[in-house]
Amino acid sequence: MIQIFQKYGPLLMTAMGQTLLLALYGLFFACIIGLIVGIMSVLNNKVCRGIALVFVNLIRGVPMIVLAYFIFFGVPFLFNTILKIGSVTLTALQAGSICLALNCGAYMAEIIRAGIQSVDIGQMEAARSLGLPYWRAMQRVVLPQAIRTMIPSIINQFIITLKDTSILSVIGFPELVNTAKNVVAATFLSFQTWGIVAIMYLIVILLLQWAAKVLERRLKYESR
Amino acid sequence: MNPGNVKIRVENLRKDFGRLQVLRDITAEIYEGEVVVIIGPSGSGKSTFLRCLNQLEQVSGGRIIIDGQDLTDPGTDINKIRERVGMVFQHFNLFNNMNVLRNLMLAPVDLKQCSKEEAKERAMTMLERVGLQDRINAYPHQLSGGQKQRVAIARSLCMKPDIMLFDEPTSALDPEMVGEVLDVMKELARDGMTMVVVTHEMGFAREVANRVLFMSEGSILEEGTPEEVFGNPQNPRTRDFLNKVL
Repeated sequence: MIQIFQKYGPLLMTAMGQTLLLALYGLFFACIIGLIVGIMSVLNNKVCRGIALVFVNLIRGVPMIVLAYFIFFGVPFLFNTILKIGSVTLTALQAGSICLALNCGAYMAEIIRAGIQSVDIGQMEAARSLGLPYWRAMQRVVLPQAIRTMIPSIINQFIITLKDTSILSVIGFPELVNTAKNVVAATFLSFQTWGIVAIMYLIVILLLQWAAKVLERRLKYESR
Repeated sequence: MNPGNVKIRVENLRKDFGRLQVLRDITAEIYEGEVVVIIGPSGSGKSTFLRCLNQLEQVSGGRIIIDGQDLTDPGTDINKIRERVGMVFQHFNLFNNMNVLRNLMLAPVDLKQCSKEEAKERAMTMLERVGLQDRINAYPHQLSGGQKQRVAIARSLCMKPDIMLFDEPTSALDPEMVGEVLDVMKELARDGMTMVVVTHEMGFAREVANRVLFMSEGSILEEGTPEEVFGNPQNPRTRDFLNKVL
């Protein structure tokens, strides 16, 4: 195992870097999508709620591996061959980021919706009764309270998404699993290689959990 | 009391929740500096009526006019009106993510009514008025029910409203805390605030109200001075209700 790590360590570390890069892009856009769709689903506007509902159900109802194939192969095929408008090509990183962002974004939207709805309606009413407009009330009173309850679920979703990057090995992105496959193919030492990969994931996720705990403690009210 | 200027005029107000008619054709006037207490059995539409007065409930029909401005007109800036119409809730609804001082300062500062320093000064004055100047750094969960409600009243007063709406302000309180909240409200009434109060505190109604409205099944069935309504109720349903609660 040590020999494998000595020989292929740098390669695997680079691959881990790619995994983290992919996860970072994916999570960044997932947060934006999640916030927008999450807020849309609590608005009083039927069209907004409808769009949010369709988006969340659509993404949740499709396995991520299918989504990945669809975005990486299907979408360029649609533009280039079926519609014959321009030549659209997506790199594996682009397609992978979009795929993660959509998938994780849908789950984030549900977390954010539930978080906002967990705040007592009276908080919003009190803020409105003082003359605050809806968005100010949301921003100053409701969201700060909602975020507190959302944090554990969000961290959990981050971890799931980080692990889900491994699915994107199927579109040829050189992340950790894909690279490990190549190492196994070259050395036939599958026990050692997959063992190392598992430990690498574990370390990163434990670090993430630790950071989350620190953050969670910080965000608690000073008084509690 | 000699009726002064009409502060709130309600014309043919209707409110439906789906098929359920909660308010049927209510017409009423509330004068400047008047304390109006609304009593009635639960489910009679008292709270809904009150919540229509600052448009926390959208009306289904009719008009509400405050100081000449029609609240049901889509061109009316409802947020501007709400700045002048304070509301106190049954469950206090203090902002849980802020301490007492920030609860009081949020709206005046955020709506640019005044500078931060002035808002703080105002907050301190109002807290002193409700006797809680030493709790500025406490969070809502550290206060008793009575204290929470007094902070909530102070929070509304920080916007310098000229009308205050009270939605069963003492119903969620332990009995020994009711007095402290009612005392604050009595003082407000003495200072000439226009107040509309939904309550089950008949003693308060008797002592403080200029006028008592009795509501049942979405209509105002009887109105008059406390002496008239409590002493000699005309409507059989008023009599029935008073017999049960007094």
